[in-house]
Amino acid sequence: MKNRDCLVLALCKSLALGPVRLLPVRLLTVRWLTVCLLLVVDFGQGCLDAQEAVNSASIVSGITAQIDQRIALGYSKASIVPAENCTDEQFIRRLYLDIAGRIPTLGERESFLLDHSGSKRLEWIDRLLASEDYVENFVDTFDALLMGRATRGKIGERKSHWRPYLEDVFRSNRPWDQVAREILLARPQSPEQSGAVWFLYERNDNAQAIAEAVAPAFFGIRIDCAQCHDHMIATEIHQEHYWGLVAFFNRSKNTKTSTGPRLSESAIGGFSDFANIYGSSYPNLLTFYESKTIDEPRPEKDAKQEDSEDLYVPAVDPADPRVPKFSRREKFVEEILNGHPRFAKAFVNRIWAMLMGRGIVHPYDQMDSVHPPSDAELLDGLAREFVDSGHNIRGLVRGILASRPYQLGSLRPEGAEDPSRFAWALERPLTAEQLGRSLQIALFQKADEDHACIGDLRDRMPEVLPETVVTDVGDALYLTNNPRVQQMILEASRQDALVGRLASREELRDAIDEMFLAILGRSAEESETQAVLDFVQPRLANRPVAERVSVWQSAVWAVLTSAEFRFNH
Amino acid sequence: MVRREDCGSPEHQAHRRLFLQGSMAAGVASVASFNGLFSIPTLAQETKKRGKKCILLWLCGAPSQFETWDPKPGTITGGPFGSIATSLPGIRISSLMPRCATIMDKLGVIRSMSTEPSEHFQGIDVLTRGEAPRPPFTRPILGSVVAERLGQLDSPVPQFVLLDPCPEGNEFKSFKAGNWAGWLGAEYGPVRSGGEYAIADILRPESIDGLDHEDREALRSFLSRKYQNDQRSQAAAGYNAAFDRVRGLMSCAPLFDLETLPVADRDRYGPGAFAQHALQARHLIENGSTFVMVANGMPWDNHVFQHEMHQMLVPELDNVLFQLVMDLEQRGMLEDTLVIAMGEFGRTPWLNEARGRDHYSKAWSMAMAGGGIRGGVVVGKTDPMGFEVTENAIDNRRLFATIFTALGIDAKEQYDLPDLPTFHRVEGNVQPIDELLIG
Repeated sequence: MKNRDCLVLALCKSLALGPVRLLPVRLLTVRWLTVCLLLVVDFGQGCLDAQEAVNSASIVSGITAQIDQRIALGYSKASIVPAENCTDEQFIRRLYLDIAGRIPTLGERESFLLDHSGSKRLEWIDRLLASEDYVENFVDTFDALLMGRATRGKIGERKSHWRPYLEDVFRSNRPWDQVAREILLARPQSPEQSGAVWFLYERNDNAQAIAEAVAPAFFGIRIDCAQCHDHMIATEIHQEHYWGLVAFFNRSKNTKTSTGPRLSESAIGGFSDFANIYGSSYPNLLTFYESKTIDEPRPEKDAKQEDSEDLYVPAVDPADPRVPKFSRREKFVEEILNGHPRFAKAFVNRIWAMLMGRGIVHPYDQMDSVHPPSDAELLDGLAREFVDSGHNIRGLVRGILASRPYQLGSLRPEGAEDPSRFAWALERPLTAEQLGRSLQIALFQKADEDHACIGDLRDRMPEVLPETVVTDVGDALYLTNNPRVQQMILEASRQDALVGRLASREELRDAIDEMFLAILGRSAEESETQAVLDFVQPRLANRPVAERVSVWQSAVWAVLTSAEFRFNH
Repeated sequence: MVRREDCGSPEHQAHRRLFLQGSMAAGVASVASFNGLFSIPTLAQETKKRGKKCILLWLCGAPSQFETWDPKPGTITGGPFGSIATSLPGIRISSLMPRCATIMDKLGVIRSMSTEPSEHFQGIDVLTRGEAPRPPFTRPILGSVVAERLGQLDSPVPQFVLLDPCPEGNEFKSFKAGNWAGWLGAEYGPVRSGGEYAIADILRPESIDGLDHEDREALRSFLSRKYQNDQRSQAAAGYNAAFDRVRGLMSCAPLFDLETLPVADRDRYGPGAFAQHALQARHLIENGSTFVMVANGMPWDNHVFQHEMHQMLVPELDNVLFQLVMDLEQRGMLEDTLVIAMGEFGRTPWLNEARGRDHYSKAWSMAMAGGGIRGGVVVGKTDPMGFEVTENAIDNRRLFATIFTALGIDAKEQYDLPDLPTFHRVEGNVQPIDELLIG
């Protein structure tokens, strides 16, 4: 049937980005300098310290404890020995990518490595969760997940309406249930809530598009297939659920007011029958999956309903549209959304998927009977903790980051095959935003989200949370030959940018090491140094000074386009 | 970056890839020896297989059998179009296909296709892979299997090409974002082209000289493969496989330039992406590709105004299939080139309220020519109104057994991949359709 596509992927391509705000680079403090002088830095040891810190009962949240316990139980049931804990070097890159949406700067990386606090991993988790980078990164991701990528024409609108709302959500850590209510009721009570209407508003009175977006966004299921018939594979998802969800939103209408875009709602209409492929037809009752049917008097077929002012009450703010006494949106929020058994699970599973590389239910947005959770008890337990915490988003994220499975190494241990056991850190491709920002950090360039190359990356790599990873040969061609990629590296030839600095180094080996640290967050191994030397040495010797910088441009390109940079691991 | 189904077993993919790189014996260590990397000639030895080739005209969205190969004129299900006689005595096809009617003696048609899925995504899956999915394992798509069996991996010309102008197409779009090559590994996935009939970024940027461009790739590849091996990374393996194809593709950029083909040929195939891509498919096959899949979004899903839409679409298909078969024959290539024209199912005998035909997988038709398929054969029958198959029902397995056998590929062979459950090229030990096969 003419179903819509996977909503998140299909809607659009590009995405508006807020300003990238970097954490202030913390220079070495006197304390760290002293520590540095006194101690031989041992990364392995640092890792143990951090793990001890994470394990210490006083700071472990219930979420972390549940994860560690359930996942460990999974290992022993499947007789798997999980990967070693990741090193501090690996941890800091992973954490920055996941939370700040970019690799750390050299300064940030060094500060972390030289931090000898026993609980430094947890401290840095908290520090990053309090940063503006966290806000921007989560806004990017949730914008793409909830809305789909914005077409280039829509980026501006989202920037002025929708993103400020999401920023406020993550900055002030609003409870997720409250956010869902604000978005779906779409009657802002304060200026901060104003942008919440955009989720519905951008869908432009298309109640089916709204229903198809609401189901994965808040319930973790896809109902698109149930438009024309009960879902043929996930048989518990019925056609009445699809048309019921549509009905909750089919009296709403986009309205422009003096305070901004709003959604008015009619007190009448919106009754229709839906027909299945066998020709039977049914009324579109106010009902939804795993919930109830809301009573609503239904007019006789073809009876004309009279609209009247009696059916409404005025809005609190006179500029806002009047409110129907029987409001379908309100009914949905109060009686369907509120306490729905899928609501917390869907959110927990999505955050898990963002941080762990795949959901406890995979794919994260098809939590139906066809896709059972890899550990139902874990999912239930985390959802309970999440509800008990007051739907605390940051608390959930923190709890997962502090867990043992999050902090495992990314080398798959021998004998471990099943990624759903989370016995090693799963590799994930960087999103376009993560990749773009990381490129700029690696090249010591100013954050510039409007760079032409970043726009291309958003178009080429629209995915967030891909089910799995394949690289299109078109991506390889793009990175190899597109002039904008060359241009970006060329721009880093200034004295204070990476290529310029490498070119000015006396000692080639130092330059190579700096290149690896800046781009990959680690030193070069001898075989790697040798390979780069083989490339740069003869060229530098044979070229006039003015052209030497081009040699380093090529070397930097080779490291930037290696798989190690492309993935979060 | 595109999506694909997860394969639960990364081990066999790494294994296979190492094997293909010729580094299995030396294992992971081999990559550490770097000397001479920049100037080695290509390692690949000639593994030239004189093989068959295949063009799949993928009629996505699913065409109606009534308006193509199995007309039922004068019945309540038959629609407004008549039928015409063909070069095959006693066989009539839709009057919308006058050109194919003249070459029915070269075509093998199945009128008794009967398959399970009646939703696009599942239908596309089954009719392009040959089998319903069994998660977490992803069976490779037909083009990947043929490229792996019959293709030359070391050829710069891409062995499996997907020509599709349209990134859109509802379920087909999601499908395209999936994992095509499955357990064979990303190197057997298609090279995609289309739209403006060219591959973007196929030319070296002017700002870098040729040798630097080549050698920096060698450096990139060394570093990236080291990571792949150190991490045993499946994702990196796919990433590197994509880069491995860059140089070969760059060297055959002119092949993808439709402008180089004679105007007379282009006119003969007709305007529109589908027709032009069919011509390009012929050109690619002539020049070394093994499998070319020509798709055009999902135009055949005519739930609304079916007759009006098919009145536009079928004559185009008629001409394109005719031109393709005639061209291949004139070039002496038809014998070795299998042409398949099909969608993921058929359409309902009845019309819906929007005068559309909906999905129907119980009884539908498809056509093939050349490449080991016997022409002038019509397999199976449906009842007078086209509701049911009455004779010789053919499911996806038998169809795929027939396609593979026609191409000289053992349909019953077991996949020899470590850590994989037992999979066969075609499951269920089914027989190919003998009457369609040339001795």
